[in-house]
Amino acid sequence: MAEERRGSWFGFGFCGFGQALGSGRGRQVHSPEPLQTPGEDADVCRVSASWSYTAFVTRGGRLELSGSAGCAAGGCRDAWASEALLVVLRAGPGRGAGTELQAWAPGSALSGEPLWAHTVGPEAEGEDAPGGEPQAGALPLLPGARAYVSPRPPFYSPLAPELRARRLELGAEHALLLDEAGQVFSWGQGRHGQLGHGTLEAELEPRPLEALQGVPMAEVAAGGWHSVCVSETGDIYIWGWNESGQLALPSRSLAEVGKTAAGEASGPKEDGSDVRTAEGESGGLAPFIAIQPFPALLDLPPGTDAVKASCGSRHTAVVTRTGELYTWGWGKYGQLGHEDTSSLDRPRRVEYFVDKRLQDEPLKVFIVTEW
Amino acid sequence: MAGAGTLREALRALLPPTKEELTLQLGETVERSVVRLLREAVELFCGGRGDECLQASEAILDYSWEKLNTGPWRDVHRDWRRVYAFGCLLKAVCLCEETGDAGAVAAALRVCDMGLLMGAAILGDILTKVAAVLQAHLPSGKRPAPGPAQEQPHEKKARHDHVRIPDVRSERTVPRLRCPSLQHFRKHFLVPGRPVILEGVADQWPCMKKWSLEYIQDVAGCRTVPVEVGSRYTDEEWSQTLMTVNEFISKYIRDEPRDVGYLAQHQLFDQIPELKRDISIPDYCCLGDGDEEEITINAWFGPQGTVSPLHQDPQQNFLAQVTGRKYIRLYSPQESEALYPHDTHLLHNTSQVDVENPDLEKFPKFAEAPFLSCILCPGEILFIPVKYWHYVRALDLSFSVSFWWS
Repeated sequence: MAEERRGSWFGFGFCGFGQALGSGRGRQVHSPEPLQTPGEDADVCRVSASWSYTAFVTRGGRLELSGSAGCAAGGCRDAWASEALLVVLRAGPGRGAGTELQAWAPGSALSGEPLWAHTVGPEAEGEDAPGGEPQAGALPLLPGARAYVSPRPPFYSPLAPELRARRLELGAEHALLLDEAGQVFSWGQGRHGQLGHGTLEAELEPRPLEALQGVPMAEVAAGGWHSVCVSETGDIYIWGWNESGQLALPSRSLAEVGKTAAGEASGPKEDGSDVRTAEGESGGLAPFIAIQPFPALLDLPPGTDAVKASCGSRHTAVVTRTGELYTWGWGKYGQLGHEDTSSLDRPRRVEYFVDKRLQDEPLKVFIVTEW
Repeated sequence: MAGAGTLREALRALLPPTKEELTLQLGETVERSVVRLLREAVELFCGGRGDECLQASEAILDYSWEKLNTGPWRDVHRDWRRVYAFGCLLKAVCLCEETGDAGAVAAALRVCDMGLLMGAAILGDILTKVAAVLQAHLPSGKRPAPGPAQEQPHEKKARHDHVRIPDVRSERTVPRLRCPSLQHFRKHFLVPGRPVILEGVADQWPCMKKWSLEYIQDVAGCRTVPVEVGSRYTDEEWSQTLMTVNEFISKYIRDEPRDVGYLAQHQLFDQIPELKRDISIPDYCCLGDGDEEEITINAWFGPQGTVSPLHQDPQQNFLAQVTGRKYIRLYSPQESEALYPHDTHLLHNTSQVDVENPDLEKFPKFAEAPFLSCILCPGEILFIPVKYWHYVRALDLSFSVSFWWS
């Protein structure tokens, strides 16, 4: 997990391959530590973390890899790291020459030939921010938003022209798309409810989430088997697999370890019977939820508005308007940043950022690693 | 009782002698980072750095577990299941290296069982052998620690006042034959796809005399198995969970269980080869096209009242009854339309109709669909032809063994 604060990055979670998280010592980092980014700190504009390595891209176009893959290369505008594939957006020589999308094996150190390459035409660049610089961080959505890249064949997937994609996120077996109007679409496998259409059926093509129609979304994020979106008014909607509490809904497996946070009464009652359900905060009994197949509205503490959500494979993180970071879900590798390895099925604030008085300069952008 | 030293030796004796042989040959699907981690874990193991090896094994297990949960199970690449099994092997052995106490051994056995359940065979089916060694080193009182009302190991009487024994005299029954010849069976039942009960075929199997609750607990009590909880798999509250056989028996068979638990559709005889010696593969399976190794043998063990909703399977089935009776209803594949299968992909082989309590307003054609029924008793084998719809309810504490063949 890592966040940006005017160029300062912090990391925590799994680093069993020595990828640059915090001090780089040990296999796990349980509390945020300043990231040892290669090169100058303030220069890093994009961090993309896969399970065993991390890719850093600087404003100057330099790409550096850290962890199971290591290398440095120039002329990069954006990078997207996955275990099977490192995807890089490289500038063509000179303006107007277009950008090239390259896919490399992570261990190749970007030498030799890429596994495949695709030229993204110069017309795509017209849609970038004023000033002509393409926005870093849009991958796997390609500049121009006519297609996206994925780590499995088909590597390059066109999007239907009527879909005006603003953002696209990939889970282990599904995809989420946010369009210009704030509508969320999903497709792929649905066995864990991650598509949000109310069933466990797969969808071959992007299908809009009817349950969210009429509520314009500002952000989407995809975990391994769960999905999150944030509305323009700061509400969080979440759906999919809850096996480690990543939906902030009562999780049976956490209760069995005595950790369901929905109530303290998890364990045998006085008469010896098992507590089969979690106690809701109001004292009513809430059932355990393994799969949530359509969006649920998530309750953050009153008065907090979410501005950004991001997901690891089985955990979730949200930044609020006031610069607080909340995390929940699978915590075995310290990826929740609460100085322990507990999993949580309700949101908890990462105190490190409160303690450090970072509220004056709120957390703006962050990405989350797989673990 | 054997000490930690002999356990350690026994486990080491099962492992390949060199680092190079303690490796998996893996294809392209497994990413290089994982291959590297596997190698590292082996280095740590051979270097005696047990704690660090455990950490690396955990990461291997967690990563491969995620792969096992990606995509439909049948599409999960075998190499990921092998990686998972390998992680289980290292973890199980490391857990026992430090202490040989019962807690560590039980935990290691649980890990082996996870590897057997979800992994794939590696290093000459080493997990089965490790599990057997661990089981032998558990303290001889293999029953779980006393829970509520645990003192008497006798079978508690079932709630007989609640069981509905169907009056099968008013229904068309499945024909019965005593030891038909292979040719007769093939000509009259296999080829035309007609159900039949075979008598005199399984009644001398050792399991018929040997399998009591006590015996099952002795042979398999500490082993982890999958259990289905809930009345039937089409219910919303239905779920699957893992527990030891002892826990299953104490929670769902003895002690007035609150819920229905069913040790269903589990390849118990691959997990515990000792039990396989108590059963035989019916000779009639040789009439099929497949090899003997391809025959799937499942255990079905549960209390009175377990229900398998009306469904069909893609292979021929011999259902052998060992303990207790089962009420079974059979509908021909030709009647499929009258059985209203679910239209979802997940349940397209399952009928929407509750056979013994059908909603005839919703499913009117069901009332007229012809069927055969029987009460299958210990020692009998029911032949269920491929795709033949079947509904099963246990009338007593029941143990069945099914053979799926083609």
